[in-house]
Amino acid sequence: MSGEPGSPIVADGLTKDFGSVLANDDVSFAVNEGEVFGFLGPNGAGKSTTIRLLLGLLKPTAGTARVLGADIRDEAALTAAKRRIGYLPAHLGFSEAATGAAVLDYHGAMKGDSRREELLELFTPPIARPIREYSTGNRRMLGLVQAFMHDPDLVIMDEPTAGLDPLKQEAFNEFVRAERDRGTTVFFSSHVLSEVRRVCDRVGILRAGSLVELETVDALLHRSGKHVRVHASDAAVAEITALGGVVGPERFGGGVQFVYAGDLDALLDALAAHDVRDVEIGEPPIEDVFAHYYGSEESPARGDREASDRRENGPSAVDEREADSA
Amino acid sequence: MLETLRYEGRRRLRGAAILTGGIGAYAGFIVWYFTILEGVDYEDIFDDLPPAMLEAFGIESLSTIEGFLGAQVFNFVWLLGLGLYFAYVAGGTIASDIETERLDLLLSLPVTRSQLLFEKFAALLVPVVVVNALGGPLIYLFVVAAGETIALDHLFLAHLLSIPFLLVCAGIGLVFSVAVDRAAIAERAAVGTVFVLYLIESSVGGAEGYDWIQYVSPTQYYEPTPILMDGAFEPIDSAILLVAFVGLMLLSQALFVRRDV
Repeated sequence: MSGEPGSPIVADGLTKDFGSVLANDDVSFAVNEGEVFGFLGPNGAGKSTTIRLLLGLLKPTAGTARVLGADIRDEAALTAAKRRIGYLPAHLGFSEAATGAAVLDYHGAMKGDSRREELLELFTPPIARPIREYSTGNRRMLGLVQAFMHDPDLVIMDEPTAGLDPLKQEAFNEFVRAERDRGTTVFFSSHVLSEVRRVCDRVGILRAGSLVELETVDALLHRSGKHVRVHASDAAVAEITALGGVVGPERFGGGVQFVYAGDLDALLDALAAHDVRDVEIGEPPIEDVFAHYYGSEESPARGDREASDRRENGPSAVDEREADSA
Repeated sequence: MLETLRYEGRRRLRGAAILTGGIGAYAGFIVWYFTILEGVDYEDIFDDLPPAMLEAFGIESLSTIEGFLGAQVFNFVWLLGLGLYFAYVAGGTIASDIETERLDLLLSLPVTRSQLLFEKFAALLVPVVVVNALGGPLIYLFVVAAGETIALDHLFLAHLLSIPFLLVCAGIGLVFSVAVDRAAIAERAAVGTVFVLYLIESSVGGAEGYDWIQYVSPTQYYEPTPILMDGAFEPIDSAILLVAFVGLMLLSQALFVRRDV
């Protein structure tokens, strides 16, 4: 546990057993003050369960966590801490008949809304209209406004950019960075890895309910090897891909591409020894990094983008665990 | 404090107004119908009916406006209709928020579960109060307009004493609402329970040896027709209803605080 006493979130052996599925299994991590922490994993990994435990919506089976110093099992302490917490759930359940303004008035009356106007200039849901007329993107923007409008110290978001168009998504990334620079701690879950890479300082990777890795984004990219694309003859390709450290070679007309996790000198030597027409070596797409941790062919980012994985896709989480132990 | 009550209460105003309008229109029709029935020896028709049926429909004296209103408006609308209505609406309060995941957002606000539950339930008092506070005067005006008279204090009591009964029906709905995840199930279970209790009370009333069963039904403790006719009621009945209501609230709270949302 790297968490200092003042860390906004400290999870300590957080476990949630739904009976049919172990959604969180001894999850421990700490989020430092003023950082953007990405909580990664495919649908069904248990990300939403962790978030809902942190907010006291679910009761842990074992273990606990402290959020802004409040034990999540202590309702009074956690309720007091919620004045300084913003939350954006994966699925935004608003009262459909109410207008956006009415919802913001209500939430504002409970927790404050000092930044409401400022945020409504950045995110622009049509607050005079009833929410039932909102598009997915408008709902999300309303959700973002309510999550940040009381100027919280900690913001927890579950799949925050689902449903935002690319332009708004970029605005969101910029916004999160700016919030971090003002000192806000941001914790969000995602299975869209490119977004995590652009915004997060550190990431935790959750797999089938267990935290498998806790790293800085740089280290994550560094450790996961290089993406290599070589144009060469078939004979040369065969020898190059025979090197130790080549992962998932894929042939294409006139060459091969793969992720290289071995010794770089060995790769360069091999390349120099053959007649190579062209070579590109770069950072792997983060989806590949992810696949590296999951050891699966399937890219999680291409998985079912169902916004709500709160109920946790039990069977798949179990299958993954079984596949892993097999 | 009380932001939820204000927000939810305001959102219940429109429904309360429509409900009151509908019931007012029905009461107006019944009063008018009474005036055209005058002169018909109406009670003869019911002499052949079994006593259990008369009991079930609260039919005591249909030749007076009080008896007629008691049977046609209070027994049908207040006892059965509104009882079922408030059980249904209360059944949806928490369960629908769980189903739409709105509760996730609400519980992320700085409010305890007990407080949220209490305020959401208290918002139901808006239609309970509006339908009685406006329905009563409406009925009185109709009666006066029809050239009949009704004792104001009896009418007032009939409305006032309906409130503990309606609270119990809503309390039954609330228990289902916090116990299940789906609004439709909570609503149906609540309506079904209140309806079954009503049937039990009206059917076992005459069964010797088993007539104690009727005492489990809240409908046993609110009898509008005698109140309207003679101002007769037992204070203990209302006390029993209020105690049952407090019990249902405590049960709902205990279930809600312990459950995962």
